[in-house]
Amino acid sequence: MLPSFNYYQPASLQEALTLLASLPRPKKLLAGGTDLVPALRRGELYPANVVSISGLSEMKEIKMERGLILIGALAAFSDLVCPPCFEGAHRLVAEAAGQIGGPQIRNQGTIGGNIVNASPAGDMLPPLVALGARVRLCREAGERAVFLSDFLGDAGGACIAPEEILVEVSFPALPVNAAGSFVKLGRRNSLAISRISAATVIIYDSYGRIEEARLALGSVGPKPVRVPSAEALLKGQKPAPDLLEEVVASVGEAVGVLLGSRSSASYKKAAVRGVARQVLQKADPRFMNSGEING
Amino acid sequence: MVEMKPFKIISKVNGSTVELGVNPGRRLIDILREDLGLTGTKEGCGEGECGACTVLINGRPVNACLVLAPEMNGKEIITIEGLTPEDELHPIQEAFLEAGAVQCGFCTPGMILTAKALLDKNSDPDEKAVKTAISGNLCRCTGYVKIVAAIRLAAAKLAAREGSI
Repeated sequence: MLPSFNYYQPASLQEALTLLASLPRPKKLLAGGTDLVPALRRGELYPANVVSISGLSEMKEIKMERGLILIGALAAFSDLVCPPCFEGAHRLVAEAAGQIGGPQIRNQGTIGGNIVNASPAGDMLPPLVALGARVRLCREAGERAVFLSDFLGDAGGACIAPEEILVEVSFPALPVNAAGSFVKLGRRNSLAISRISAATVIIYDSYGRIEEARLALGSVGPKPVRVPSAEALLKGQKPAPDLLEEVVASVGEAVGVLLGSRSSASYKKAAVRGVARQVLQKADPRFMNSGEING
Repeated sequence: MVEMKPFKIISKVNGSTVELGVNPGRRLIDILREDLGLTGTKEGCGEGECGACTVLINGRPVNACLVLAPEMNGKEIITIEGLTPEDELHPIQEAFLEAGAVQCGFCTPGMILTAKALLDKNSDPDEKAVKTAISGNLCRCTGYVKIVAAIRLAAAKLAAREGSI
């Protein structure tokens, strides 16, 4: 038995927003429940009111519109694995979603829940940060849109009011000459929390040189971090194995500085080099030595 | 302490309509086991890690320990008891017996329902597809080899049955 609370199942987003505005705190929103239900059970949360939005099908849609890819906050991870809009350069979204938890968790857990719960190890966050995603938040009185990187707090958590609902996450579709990938290092392949994750987006100019590179790391701080030193090394260059080694070294240094004297620092500083190497090679095979196979 | 109001649900469990007033602080697994007597659904970890409580909701495998009871409302739920009419075995169950994929049996209902969801989508999964599909179901006895073999055998049985109709 879980703690006592009242439960509401609004039929529309508007009804949910009205309810959230009127119900007294503490109140919690229920989407997939894969984080909320265990937290209730462990006694970490004791809301008086739980508002379930899991049935709001208007928030499950995934679509491309005017150069933007829009993902409804209630899209389950398994809904993100197959759509054609997550092929090619955008595949980092599908790659991250496809490695979360196990199949059962992926059927239940939602992208919005992953964002709002803002775990340092939240696997959807580095790809979305690398893609320059924004989140749209609604409340009864209006709405706002913010960059995901600003929505995630520097000390952890997400900047969301109890009356707000994250309804959608979106990012600009990448140009044709772009690549992207995601790599996760966990203790095992399935049902493992990320020890380190990395997402990259690379945009090329018409000569095949890197016009812009973005590299976002997860699980090395309270929220995903970009690695400007590595991105600067890549800019203007043609992908090649020598360049990769330079980039990888700078990622290792950057993570060393970020983690300081934390007990995991020496492990992660070394391990992140492998993760960075893999994610860049997966995005662009020109980073590989001839004969090298990316595992 | 908040006085909880029971929440009225209407759902379909193993093909039958179920109408209940549920306490929102209970979980789907509690309703299945305690109220509906469907004890084939097992509770292992209670945290969504082991897959022993796997049931199908609208055809997709989910962990019944992570679903609040009122979330059953409007959903179609299949448990291991609903796989076939009483006293009959489903080809996946036959395959598990024939391949020796059952030892203590605790993970078996969840494994079989996960296999059912896989085979509904992919009638001829290779070894990798089977292993990925059951990656959220832990088994402490078999070492998985016979479970993977059983699911592939089940695929062959279902294909043969399909062919004979």
